[in-house]
Amino acid sequence: MKKILALFFSLAMVFAVAACGNSSDSADTGNVETEQAAAPDDAGFTEYPIFEDEEVGFMNVSAVYFQPVPMSNGNENVEDFDIHLECDVAALENDLGYGAGDWVPYLTVDYKVVGDNGNGDVAAEGTFMVMSASDGPHYGANIKLPEADTYAVTFTFHNPEENGYLIHTDAETGPGGTFDEFFADGNLEVTVDGWDYTPQEW
Amino acid sequence: MLNYLITVTEGLTLTVILLGLLSAYLPATYGEKGAKRLLIGAAVGFVLAAVVAVLKNATKLIEIAGGTGMWNLRIFLLSFIALVVYCIADRRRKDAGELPAKTVTAVTVAGAVLAFTFVFYTFPDVLAYPFTFSLNGESLFSTAFFYRFIGYVVGLILCLLIFVATRETAARMSLTAMAWMVNILLFLNAFQQLTKIIQVLHAKRVVGGHFLFVLVRFTSNHSDLFIYLTMAVALAIPIFLWIKSFRVNEPYENPAEHRKIRAKWRRSRRWSTALICCFALVVVNLTALTSLDNREVELSPAEECEIRGDSIYLTLEQVGDGHLHRFAYTTENGVDVRFIVIKKPNASSYGLGLDACDICGETGYYERSGQIVCKLCDVVMNINTIGFKGGCNPIPIEYRVEGGYIIIPVATLIEHEAEFQ
Repeated sequence: MKKILALFFSLAMVFAVAACGNSSDSADTGNVETEQAAAPDDAGFTEYPIFEDEEVGFMNVSAVYFQPVPMSNGNENVEDFDIHLECDVAALENDLGYGAGDWVPYLTVDYKVVGDNGNGDVAAEGTFMVMSASDGPHYGANIKLPEADTYAVTFTFHNPEENGYLIHTDAETGPGGTFDEFFADGNLEVTVDGWDYTPQEW
Repeated sequence: MLNYLITVTEGLTLTVILLGLLSAYLPATYGEKGAKRLLIGAAVGFVLAAVVAVLKNATKLIEIAGGTGMWNLRIFLLSFIALVVYCIADRRRKDAGELPAKTVTAVTVAGAVLAFTFVFYTFPDVLAYPFTFSLNGESLFSTAFFYRFIGYVVGLILCLLIFVATRETAARMSLTAMAWMVNILLFLNAFQQLTKIIQVLHAKRVVGGHFLFVLVRFTSNHSDLFIYLTMAVALAIPIFLWIKSFRVNEPYENPAEHRKIRAKWRRSRRWSTALICCFALVVVNLTALTSLDNREVELSPAEECEIRGDSIYLTLEQVGDGHLHRFAYTTENGVDVRFIVIKKPNASSYGLGLDACDICGETGYYERSGQIVCKLCDVVMNINTIGFKGGCNPIPIEYRVEGGYIIIPVATLIEHEAEFQ
């Protein structure tokens, strides 16, 4: 009996403590695992999708979140945040000179997360910072979102020209298009509701 | 200070009540083996929790696909298995009358594993809190650090008291009453763990459905409910002892024995009172102190400033005291564009920026014990980097120092009108 006891107890410890390891035996479904720029040996970190492939102007936009991450330049503290909210922007076929699928730089992207599926209070809002992760550059921020709720997420995209991004306009070297095609009526916006969110213990 | 007192109490109350009950019940029923194994289980949990706390701090464990993300789920599953073994074996005790060795082993091991899971689940966060005491770069001898330390220690002392008082009071009950109390609270705890499992699986999209989401939304947003329920159930112990202490009918043969009996019940009443007081303190922590800790800070009003032509002029004396000064310029559209000025410590330069940052928007900054703090995210600014771009720093604005004045072009402020709309 003592042997069984010892065996059970040891197995119990190993089982629970295995949680601290980083085994790559993924049994998760429905999660987006980073692939793009991650080293082949990496298991990849788990990103949770909020919405995917919304077409906004000349861009394909997806939103994911995962645990708060430390970032450079004084943004190392992650204690006060619940999630890292990320907006992935890739160019669609366009005449602005971006290769299809390329990340779109020089954007100002505002985010707004509204509770009660868009009918409640604003739970978080601000402007994303621009950063690189192992899967490439993106717009993102660590945010506080302690309440479980069904949220509506809005991203607002400003004209890259606001940040000084220019387009050649001559016939020979220009890509043919202008940002006015998309931003003549103001900023571009995408709102996706129905995000059933519960906070996680990371 | 309050923040750490609250989080420590919130994190540990359930665990210490359960441990208190188990440490009364197992030794009373299963003798020394019960006490010893329970202690081993809790001790192993504590040591491993300390290791996890250090690891978490050193490496900021990022959730690896399929790896660390399931850590709580594994602990809960182990806890469920231990609970089932415990209940089946403990039931056999009542039927058997005698205590077969197998039953003793099964119950005590299951009890030890339960204690291990409770401690290993709750303690890593609590043990990691000291790492965050000086995250914003305060010195170990600063007042802020000291207050946080005090809050943390008071929280730990309160939890230790709850553990001892629960054990002392529960141990004075009958075995049957104790067994019932342990079972009810273990199952209540298991129910909370179940909702957390659903929460994890729902977040990972392993399970779906509106009903499950509504359930976990409720339990996630009302997690303190389980602490209240557990305390409400456990409150029966001191209340029962109090009433019983006034209806003592134990036979005695001489006055000395009578005094002994009276002293015994007086001690019972004292422990009962202690437990009730501890529970009351927990309630105060989770309600009054929490709302006090979360109260919104009022920004100080904007000070007067002189506008000459197309610039704002601030005299150096006006802002030279090392404290935060807030000013505002009202644009033609009626928008108050706020900006802050602070003289940098041990330097003749000034930190100037909008009363807003790129991350938190126009929520503003306030001064707390000589530090500049962002009102929204509570991050303490390094005063020397105010005026530089990045992070939660105030958005820098153009200015120049000339002839005893800080001169800020109005056009610069109008440019940032949108930040304050």
